[in-house]
Amino acid sequence: MARIYVIDDDEQLLRMVGLMLQRGGHTVTLINSPVEGFEKIMADKPDLAVLDVMMPNMSGHDLTRKIRATKEISDLPILILTARSQEIDRSTALESGADGYLSKPVTSQELVAKIDDLLNRRSSSLSPELGVIIALYSFRGGVGQTTLSVNLAASLRRQSQKEVCLVDLSLSGSQASFHLRLTPRTSWLDLLALDSFDWGELQQHTMVHASGLRVLPAPALPQLPDILSAEKVTTLLNVVQQNAAFVVVDLPAVISPALTTPLGMADMAMQVMTPDVIAVQTAFNANRALARENVTVKYKTHVLNQTTVEAQISPAAIEKALNARIAFLIGYDANQPRALMQGVPLALTNAQSVLPTAVNRMAEVIWQRVTRRES
Amino acid sequence: MTAKRYGHVVNLDLFTDSYRVTGRAMVGAGGIHATLADPNSDFLEMEDAYISRIVKPGEIVASYDIVAFRKDNINFIVLQDRRDGIPVGTQHGRSVFVRGRTYPTFLTVPSFEIKGEIHHDGQLSPRAVLVSSMGRFQPIFVATASASLYPDISYSGDLILVHKERIGIFCLQESRTK
Repeated sequence: MARIYVIDDDEQLLRMVGLMLQRGGHTVTLINSPVEGFEKIMADKPDLAVLDVMMPNMSGHDLTRKIRATKEISDLPILILTARSQEIDRSTALESGADGYLSKPVTSQELVAKIDDLLNRRSSSLSPELGVIIALYSFRGGVGQTTLSVNLAASLRRQSQKEVCLVDLSLSGSQASFHLRLTPRTSWLDLLALDSFDWGELQQHTMVHASGLRVLPAPALPQLPDILSAEKVTTLLNVVQQNAAFVVVDLPAVISPALTTPLGMADMAMQVMTPDVIAVQTAFNANRALARENVTVKYKTHVLNQTTVEAQISPAAIEKALNARIAFLIGYDANQPRALMQGVPLALTNAQSVLPTAVNRMAEVIWQRVTRRES
Repeated sequence: MTAKRYGHVVNLDLFTDSYRVTGRAMVGAGGIHATLADPNSDFLEMEDAYISRIVKPGEIVASYDIVAFRKDNINFIVLQDRRDGIPVGTQHGRSVFVRGRTYPTFLTVPSFEIKGEIHHDGQLSPRAVLVSSMGRFQPIFVATASASLYPDISYSGDLILVHKERIGIFCLQESRTK
């Protein structure tokens, strides 16, 4: 049984939602004003809040943002329940910081099931178990590293239904958010300007995609390699790791603390390359450079991602050149350019093409490994 | 003292050239289509209206208890249930709005393009469809309206009522939908 606050200016709907939740075994407080609702949430710290969007003086989105910006209650699970039923309304609700969205009219079963799901998600996210860090890197551009990072993070989110955070540590501009058609208003640059920060503050610098995937964007403008110190990167990843089940880190293509620190912390590092001579040579030299910097990786895999119709070199020749096995082979996917234009990662679609099939398999392997570790 | 009103309340998403307005309207047995066709009033009234800009349709910029729209300036209205828009008839007979065959359609109004289906009885031509259908608004069923300049912004509904005089391009597909 949870303490749930329902905030809606429509008295009739308020009573109806209240009855549904009481029948679901919860203790419900009904509030008909968003301003009063915020004050009561601050004072009583309930287990979950259900908010309407269309309310006078303050919309449900504004109230959600205000709650997320208030340290004491920033982790409150929020469900948006609104008559605005379009896809854009759902994504606006999630982008504002809500954990769930339902459109009216809603059945009692739907509402109670969604609430139970949010409450369960919260209790599992409070688990002391640290999240798994997966770092993707390549010293050569155009190998599809960000595409894979975004798709892998989205697939992990879809399969696990747990908190998954994609950290875009790119130093050459915000790219991961482009793949998800998110418009960042802030980035890790603003976050790391703070003297110290916790999960609540970090969440305010992230955006949540409609799939539930959380993204910490890179700054829009390219940055110098020394903008991130090893200490800052460690703090950042520690905070994310303590609160997310999976942390997918898209690494920059230059030797810097933004690259070497996450590689040292990662549970799994994925070196991405394309089947062409320059990419393989770059990958070989990258490994030498990382060895020179004494970067040790707990578990390293190689991903061969074919981004063009024809491959220059066979996987066998690449394995021989690198003296390593290629763990994941991803063939050319003609759907990817369109997915990029539409801002929808293929892993979130029902496409049966090469890239989502391979990425979903990667996520499945990682997810099984984690499940085995937990059991 | 407020006058007693008859009818039922429907939720609707209404679009003008630059704004999306979500709210409730009181309609009679003929649905919102009949209210829009009422020659005694040039205005449509909405209650508890929440206004967003078309370019940022999720964000609410203003809200008012009562809003009136000049019917001529409404481009289209999105409804989640066709029964809120038109009378669909009973199990003994379909209403005039849903009689005939179903054809895919594509049309444009300022700032938006709309895809969906029309019901039409008789010879198919854009003119016949627009002239023979009743009222100022054309019903488009199972429809999606996408913003012309922002194709990722779209609105779907079981019924979209489109102001006939605001239509720029009107396309029909002769092959019926299954």
